[in-house]
Amino acid sequence: MFEEIIAHADPHGDHDTIGRRLPRIDSGKRVTGEAIYPADFQLPGMVYAKLKRSPHPHAKIRSIDTSKAMELAGVLAVTTADDFPELEPGTAVPMGQGSCDVWMVGQINMARHKVFWVGQPVAAVAAIDLHIAEQALELIKIEYEVLDAVFSIDEATAPAAPALYDSMRTTGLDTPSNKPTNVCSRTVFKRGNSDSALANSDETVELSIKVDTAHQGYIEPQSVVAQHDRDGLTTLWVSTQGHFTTELVTARVLGIPQSKIRVVPLEIGGGFGGKVFIHGESVAAKLAEKCGRPVQLIFSREEVLQGGSGPTAALQGKLEIGASKDGVINAIKSRIHVDAGGLPDMNPGIILQVFAALYQTPNLFLEGFDVVTNKPRTEAYRAPGGIQAAFLMEQAIDELSQKLEMDPLEFRRRNASVTGSTMPAGTPFPSIGVLEIADAVAAHPCWTTPLKEGSMPRGRGLAFGYWRGTSMTSACHVTISGDGRPMFTLGSVDISGAHTSMAQVAAEQFQMSLDDVYVATGDSKSVGYTDIAAASRVTRTMAAAVIDASQAALAELKKRAANLMQLTAEELTYDHGSFRTANDNGPSMTVADVMKATLTQGAIICQGSSSNLPFGVEVGAHVCDVEVDKDTGQITVLKYTAFQDVGFALNPPAVEGQIEGSVVQGLGWAISEGFDYGSDGRLRNASLLDYRIPTALDVPSIDTVLLQKPVPGVPYGLRGVGEVPIVPVAACVANAVARAVGNRVTQMPMTPERVFKAMTAS
Amino acid sequence: MSKEILECSVNGEQQSCLIDRRDTLLELLRTRLQLTGTKEGCGNGNCGSCTVIVDSQTVCSCLMFAVEAQDCEITTIEGVASVGELHRVQEALIKHGGTQCGFCTPGVVMSAVGLFAENPSPNESDIRLAIAGNICRCTGYEKIVKALMDVADPKGAD
Ligand code: FES
Ligand code: FES
Repeated sequence: MFEEIIAHADPHGDHDTIGRRLPRIDSGKRVTGEAIYPADFQLPGMVYAKLKRSPHPHAKIRSIDTSKAMELAGVLAVTTADDFPELEPGTAVPMGQGSCDVWMVGQINMARHKVFWVGQPVAAVAAIDLHIAEQALELIKIEYEVLDAVFSIDEATAPAAPALYDSMRTTGLDTPSNKPTNVCSRTVFKRGNSDSALANSDETVELSIKVDTAHQGYIEPQSVVAQHDRDGLTTLWVSTQGHFTTELVTARVLGIPQSKIRVVPLEIGGGFGGKVFIHGESVAAKLAEKCGRPVQLIFSREEVLQGGSGPTAALQGKLEIGASKDGVINAIKSRIHVDAGGLPDMNPGIILQVFAALYQTPNLFLEGFDVVTNKPRTEAYRAPGGIQAAFLMEQAIDELSQKLEMDPLEFRRRNASVTGSTMPAGTPFPSIGVLEIADAVAAHPCWTTPLKEGSMPRGRGLAFGYWRGTSMTSACHVTISGDGRPMFTLGSVDISGAHTSMAQVAAEQFQMSLDDVYVATGDSKSVGYTDIAAASRVTRTMAAAVIDASQAALAELKKRAANLMQLTAEELTYDHGSFRTANDNGPSMTVADVMKATLTQGAIICQGSSSNLPFGVEVGAHVCDVEVDKDTGQITVLKYTAFQDVGFALNPPAVEGQIEGSVVQGLGWAISEGFDYGSDGRLRNASLLDYRIPTALDVPSIDTVLLQKPVPGVPYGLRGVGEVPIVPVAACVANAVARAVGNRVTQMPMTPERVFKAMTAS
Repeated sequence: MSKEILECSVNGEQQSCLIDRRDTLLELLRTRLQLTGTKEGCGNGNCGSCTVIVDSQTVCSCLMFAVEAQDCEITTIEGVASVGELHRVQEALIKHGGTQCGFCTPGVVMSAVGLFAENPSPNESDIRLAIAGNICRCTGYEKIVKALMDVADPKGAD
């Protein structure tokens, strides 16, 4: 089936819409404030919800008394876990190639029996205004039995550590143990014998790093409006990366059939992986049911940061790498731990599969563990785990090239994986352009122009990044309107310009202008199941679905035209909105006329879908110049250039925008963003003042260099775009710092204090 | 809690509204006047998504109590474009791709409108300084800065 789609999606040649620099088709409402996010959505009679959150990082819930809160004038409903069915651990719904753990998401929405982090919800109220809802929270009395807690990988894995789950046993151990543990699983990828190869290497490097928890930092806090009508239908207006997943999960958490819930995606004010799970949607729905009024729940920023939504995983690890004198890697050995937060199963398998994949080596041993701690359950963040792991891998590569006295670009080139190289999981690499990127870097002024001396130490860093992304399933349908124009309904939400890029694809297929096509996202009841907008998958897979639907609709239109023209379909070709015969002077008919004549003879509705499209593997290389203040340790990034093979840039400014935004997110985590937990398990920097996201003054101008090496078997040869550009950033800065000051900073974020310590270490 | 009447002008329209003394200006705009174009990203002055112009000054509306706006002239994002015509800041943001998720955008527009009202030809550092209080998590600021530089100097290099 894909062959046919690909045949209609050639990136080469002349195009009216694809590949052109176009503004987003929906920017007008964004720059005027007309775009509606759930916090802006209002229904008659709507009331306001607030969540009561745990003040303890680890405690049993003895009792909850909500009677006083219920008595407060203006309070309409109160809810706790008792209002929700108790789910078996392991309850899951399908998501992509895997599943989504509903038990776990249920705990994120409302704790039952036990709390695992500060900020986990334990009760909720709905009231006629927010001030009253807040007052009511104070009146809810909860008795806790406080338990010992662990806040870091080291504490959680210490011999006498308190266990979060009595039943947890580490999976994947060579010799299984029967003792309760906080280590959820062990994952290993190996080939050859890395220990003996390391011993026989001419040069080796050993490096250990620690990365703090960081947050996706979307500027729109979680928000939802829920309604439960008299006919028993629950409707949710949400900000989500996947409304079908929201529906599946919420229905299970509430214990209602999917025929009784509809999910309407509104605008999403940034997600970056953090808006895949639900974080209160089920609670708002329950409150709406209990009080018979629409309920709006909006998180405060403090809630977002202090346990209301998952940040992303802290990681620590060690890597050993060895090479021969002539710069050929012969062994990589690494062991990493990721901090899953308070709920289990944050398997590091995907991190292991990508972080060492860029380099070929005959001997490989990668071992990963995920650990539970009394902190919020971590969630995905743009190439989840990629930047943390690259901070280890790409620094080790850089260090080894320094030891070998070899140009770091040349060292990478000598060892680069190419199409067909063996990946850590043992499978061959799909089409990948690491060498082409290395060539582009080698020829670019950001690399060839010597770094100017400054009054403070300066250095230039280089790092590569790889991300696999995924494909999953996407669906859409198209109907043809009475004037012959195509109307598309997509199953994906628009998190990064999908409406524009899909309008471009649709216009290209119908050979019409952008203004002639209509593209929108359908709610969960008006379009077919589509997986989450995540993992660099939407543009590629939805393009395939749009092409599929377009070709079907054009075939149906052609049939109708042939009928009207008393010709056979084979005699007609489609050309910019008209069907005509091969003869230039022969008859022709516009699609508008076809529809005028046949609209009332039956609708044209054609569906398109794509599942398991080949991966759009992403690779990028970053170069940056930094200056380090030798008195304070403050890093200033002077110049930043990001190279990326995007396969084909459907809309170049959108692609650049993804890369620029990604790099700045990476710079934030590299230099200033990290969660700071106190010994009581409270996040000490739960505000955007203390959790320092870069501002326009903190970052330089970001240059992007797009390479376009199409992926075979994917429409237009599109690669994933949005994830890989965050992967190399911290390592790139770290490598520049190491070259500036001579020492490596092994803790991320590389705050002035940490840089200063590294600089002054002997 | 007692309510009181607030008189102010919002986007050129005279308003008298019943407010709770605890309401911030942001709550007044979003909840009582249903002007939801102004966003709340943090509620404590750190993100700039709630930026509005009060008597020619850009302010974070989440940091001002509604009662403080008595007799003030307030301009919100809804008052920036006229019918059928966007402000040149808005046009430039569209043209250059300076908006992605759009949540920070109303605040960015207000800061930029405030900047150009004060300084018609700012340079890049003036621009970065003017929007330093507006956190954008999507764009990396690159295309926002390009857009505003285009407004500052439409004939300058692209
Ligand atoms: S909401 Fe006012 S500054 Fe963030
Ligand atoms: S466009 Fe999303 S925060 Fe700025």
